[in-house]
Amino acid sequence: MTVNEIVDRAIASGRNLLFEDEAGALLMAAGIPVNSCRVASGEDEAVRIAKETGFPVVLKVRSQAITHKTDAGCVRLGLKDEEAVHLAYRGIMEKARLIDPGAQVTVQPMASPGLELLVGMTTDPQFGQVVAFGLGGTLVELFNDVTFRQVPLLEKDATDMINSIKGSALLKGYRGRPPVDINALTGIILQVSRLVEKEPRIKEIDLNPVFAYPQGMLAVDSRVVVNQNL
Amino acid sequence: MSGTRPVDLRPVFYPRRVAVFGVTDTPDRVGYNVLESILHGGFTGKVYPIHPRHEQVLGCKVYKSLEDLPEPVDLAVICLNQDATVEAVEKCGRAGVRGVICNAGGYRETGEVGRDLEKRLIAAAEKYRLPMIGPNTLGMINNDGNFYSTFYPLKIPAGKVSIISQSGGIGLTTIHLAVDEGIGINKFIGVGNCSNLGFTDCLDYLENDDSTAVIGVFIEGSADAGRFVRAAGRVARKKPVVVYKAGRLAEADRYTQTHTGSSAGSFQLYQDILHQYGVFTVNNVSELVAACKALALQPLPEGNRVGILTHTAGPSVVMIDHLAPAGCVIPPLHEKTISRVKQIIGSDNPPVVLKNPLDAAGLGFSRPTYGGLAEAMLADDNVDLLLAVYCLHKTWELPAIELINAHKKYEKPLIVNFVGNWQGCRADQDFMQNAGVPLYTAPEKTAVAAAALVHYGMLRKGGADRDS
Repeated sequence: MTVNEIVDRAIASGRNLLFEDEAGALLMAAGIPVNSCRVASGEDEAVRIAKETGFPVVLKVRSQAITHKTDAGCVRLGLKDEEAVHLAYRGIMEKARLIDPGAQVTVQPMASPGLELLVGMTTDPQFGQVVAFGLGGTLVELFNDVTFRQVPLLEKDATDMINSIKGSALLKGYRGRPPVDINALTGIILQVSRLVEKEPRIKEIDLNPVFAYPQGMLAVDSRVVVNQNL
Repeated sequence: MSGTRPVDLRPVFYPRRVAVFGVTDTPDRVGYNVLESILHGGFTGKVYPIHPRHEQVLGCKVYKSLEDLPEPVDLAVICLNQDATVEAVEKCGRAGVRGVICNAGGYRETGEVGRDLEKRLIAAAEKYRLPMIGPNTLGMINNDGNFYSTFYPLKIPAGKVSIISQSGGIGLTTIHLAVDEGIGINKFIGVGNCSNLGFTDCLDYLENDDSTAVIGVFIEGSADAGRFVRAAGRVARKKPVVVYKAGRLAEADRYTQTHTGSSAGSFQLYQDILHQYGVFTVNNVSELVAACKALALQPLPEGNRVGILTHTAGPSVVMIDHLAPAGCVIPPLHEKTISRVKQIIGSDNPPVVLKNPLDAAGLGFSRPTYGGLAEAMLADDNVDLLLAVYCLHKTWELPAIELINAHKKYEKPLIVNFVGNWQGCRADQDFMQNAGVPLYTAPEKTAVAAAALVHYGMLRKGGADRDS
């Protein structure tokens, strides 16, 4: 499906927050590297996908009614084998069905850890679409080291963002660690700008964390909010 | 300002005939003060005070109403209460007046009733495509046309810097600081509630105003922040724009709502996006004035390499603290410069460390030596602009002439920091600034002035890479 089709479908079914598998497909279509996220329609399928994906995996609930998945006890990380997936599936569904009988589960590989970054987009009432970049994961809460630019971004804006955060030194190889892939990072920031410029019904994107590696990047968690009204 | 056809704002800023509504004969009222402001400011056009119950104020004949005036006017300054202002704007529109300034507050900044009233005010202005400054404004000054309409009567030196301010109080602070700093103001626009003419319209006008070379902006918040930042970025590529954005904290937001009816918006978004569009931002009024002064007086540097000449180390340390984060570098001096410096100070004169910043210590007290060192540093190909520090002394004169000559000879930007009190440096400030060399008495101001010059020097070199 194209970006527009994914947004059309979500809006048609009355959802503003995309399911993570939809967000993944949308980001992938926009050229943004994102962790695979597949929907399992049942317990056996969850196990089959996990085997195809390769262990360890992550299981998360997929439900319009449950937006705070971790709080609802509906996220299981680091599942190492088939047995763990069986148990996790049952555990999630037991809780989720109480809230949403139509709830499903998604299966994702556990990405190998990298430096945690944040790339996002928000629609500000005054400035309109604004791209955010900074240190991600728990570092966001700790340092709030995030910088913003108005859409559309030029390549120099992305470069400037990368250089202007306080934690910029971390990206360039701090204390013997290898530097992260700055080209790939610049690419993600620009792709987010291009994506929302072309599809202004996207109101919010939150890629946090994005794992930054010496070669390549991977958006591990993604949240995309759309809205019909312009 | 909404609408498709651009409205000519020249009659607003360069009126030839002006009506003033609400002129009373007591100096405790706004109308009286606006009339006094116009007269005191030396306006050479016609001014027609209007009030139904007065005959004569400040030696001017007072007319009963707009209809009674002997000729049509370009601009009306409306010094009536918030309700009567709406009616007056309507009358002005009908009579073909080409611009209005509305001083009264009492609109959206006060709540629901005021918000509705402001909508009526805006509708009246828009119906006649009548450009309106305000409401809730101190007024406007055009020093290029000797037109003063602030209700604080002023007469200030004219120059190339124009100021747009959302606040009257900060507007006045900026004006008075500019007087102290010895810089001339070209135009002052108190945009107030920005109900019709906002920041963007004023920037658009000043962009093409030949008498304005530098624009200083004080903004609390704007409903069209997205347009403002783009306009500021576009104008900044043509002439320097310096923005001081207030409302850093969420607490301030609640106050700006009841001040000019605008939400302050995210402070960081303003900072980041103004930076994105190449606009120089400052942190206080003092920096705003300091930056505008240097930009108005000096040529832009070719690069970001700053030379510092001093005879006391501290100020150079403070300057570097401010310069480095602003993207300036303190380059090493060229070998040729070092030999030249050695020659000037002589071989039997030891404790000078031959590097940049060049601290001439006791030798720097001598005016010819200081002037020679300034020339040596300005001649250095590694140096794009020079900051010169010198301390005021009871006996020694400041090396003003030497510095002016050095600047003329090398045509590189030069900023002078005299360590002294304002009165002690006043004569030198006037003398130097008449020759185009800005003088400051605080290293923080000198540094922000240098940072502003470097910022716009680099922006010019970078060329226009953005269309918006």
